[in-house]
Amino acid sequence: MKKSLKQLIIDTATDYIYLALVVDGVEKQSIYEKGINNHSVTIIPFLKEILDLENFKLQDIDEIIVGIGPGSYTGVRIGVTVAKMISYLNNINLYKVSSLALLASYSQEPYVLALIDARRGNAFMGFYSNVDKKLLNIKDDVLENIEDFKGKIDLKYQEVRFGKPKISKLLSSELFEKVDDVHNLVPNYLQKTEAERNKNNGINLKTNI
Amino acid sequence: MYVLGVETSCDETSVSIVKDGSMVLANEVLSQIDIHKDYGGVVPEIASREHVKGITYVFDQAMKKAGIKYQDLGLIAVTKGPGLIGSLLIGVNAAKVISLNYDIPIVGVHHIAGHIYANHIEHPMEFPLLALVVSGGHTELVLMKEHYSFEKLGETQDDAVGEAYDKIARVLGLAYPGGPIVDKLAHEGKDVFDFPRPMIDSDDFNFSFSGLKSKVINTHHNLKQRQLEIIPEDFCASFQEAVTDVLVSKTIKAKTIYKVKQIIVAGGVAANSGLRTKLKNKITDVPVYFPRMNYCTDNAAMIAVAGYFQYLTNKKTDDLMLNGHSRLNLEG
Ligand SMILES: [Zn+2]
Repeated sequence: MKKSLKQLIIDTATDYIYLALVVDGVEKQSIYEKGINNHSVTIIPFLKEILDLENFKLQDIDEIIVGIGPGSYTGVRIGVTVAKMISYLNNINLYKVSSLALLASYSQEPYVLALIDARRGNAFMGFYSNVDKKLLNIKDDVLENIEDFKGKIDLKYQEVRFGKPKISKLLSSELFEKVDDVHNLVPNYLQKTEAERNKNNGINLKTNI
Repeated sequence: MYVLGVETSCDETSVSIVKDGSMVLANEVLSQIDIHKDYGGVVPEIASREHVKGITYVFDQAMKKAGIKYQDLGLIAVTKGPGLIGSLLIGVNAAKVISLNYDIPIVGVHHIAGHIYANHIEHPMEFPLLALVVSGGHTELVLMKEHYSFEKLGETQDDAVGEAYDKIARVLGLAYPGGPIVDKLAHEGKDVFDFPRPMIDSDDFNFSFSGLKSKVINTHHNLKQRQLEIIPEDFCASFQEAVTDVLVSKTIKAKTIYKVKQIIVAGGVAANSGLRTKLKNKITDVPVYFPRMNYCTDNAAMIAVAGYFQYLTNKKTDDLMLNGHSRLNLEG
């Protein structure tokens, strides 16, 4: 019997945690649950839950796909850390994908604006097309003012802020990319930390005593 | 038993393998100190990003150095707090993956328990013992009547001693981290200012350093305004004398009341030579132990050792819901 391909998909870049177990291209188990600031607690128990349902061990997984943001909340780091560890421990291939592409895969509409809120009127956004069921990225993921970004789009689109990814659509796309050096994988933060930006702008952070 | 230690509570990513609670096979530390130096202190968001970046590499290095396989591990011990939450969660989740992948029991360890147990690597504990915990975040006296039982006798009411050191260093224009530099300069200066020894005669085991800190800063400010010569060495010497007088005096008082067999010093400030010398000179009836320099600062070996004794004492492990906590009680 031909050995089946077992893929694990992980995304924790939004308020929802997403885990899916795909065997030979077919989604066998998945979890999509809201859990603000809670992914750190739930990710491993959820992972165990879907593995147990299929009678798999973590070591049985052949490939991992991880959403790497964009985003800068703790959440995205949890998923990336877990994916890196599984890949490193079991010496299996790791693929990275935009968490916005995962969001976009939820939509059935021809054009999709995937959006992860970044407060103060800003968001991490990506623009995707979904024509003929083929998911394509047509505007690079950015961190921008929401209205400014929308103002530059003259197509009719659906805005997606949450929604369970349609993993088959993602797997048939070319939106995921193999990670060559697992040790060095980091989330796609899209911007430097506030401290680094202030430093570059010459603002002295040192507190005056 | 081989215990895997994981520590990511602040700005060091560290993984260690310790056999039977004291034999350190590997203790890898990826330090971010050069990155945070430019900011005069640890920037939490940068620390967290660096942990994600380095985490698997540090595991790999530690396991290669120890020369064992993950399957050989009997226990995983990971710092669950206190610390920077975004940093703690990286180590906690990495550790949980190993636990699930190889079905190895896991325990979440208190960071300060780790600092205390750093001493056990070279000097087996004898009870009752008194632990003086001194770091950038803590100043406390802890009584241990047996393994893994912690009774806090007293603690700082305001600044931690390491924190006061860093602030004094900043006022004197010294580089970050300032503690070790203040310690070094103190040896070249004289205690000319006779700063106050806060709470030295109070009948409890609490500390206070913010008043002393302000006094040092005001004195410095005054000299500067009057355009008088400022000798940093004398500031460092005077400050260090005041701080160590208080720490040593309270330690001696606790030692006498609780008739301890051993005194151990834990935390980053345990590396301070002024404190080491004064404790050794003033306490001669019971042994005073300090961890080796590389076990004074944050490291995973101390977490592995503490986790080992936590497991032996409590006979309890954590489940996969284990989480990090920015604040956490040692006695809990
Ligand atoms: Zn520490």
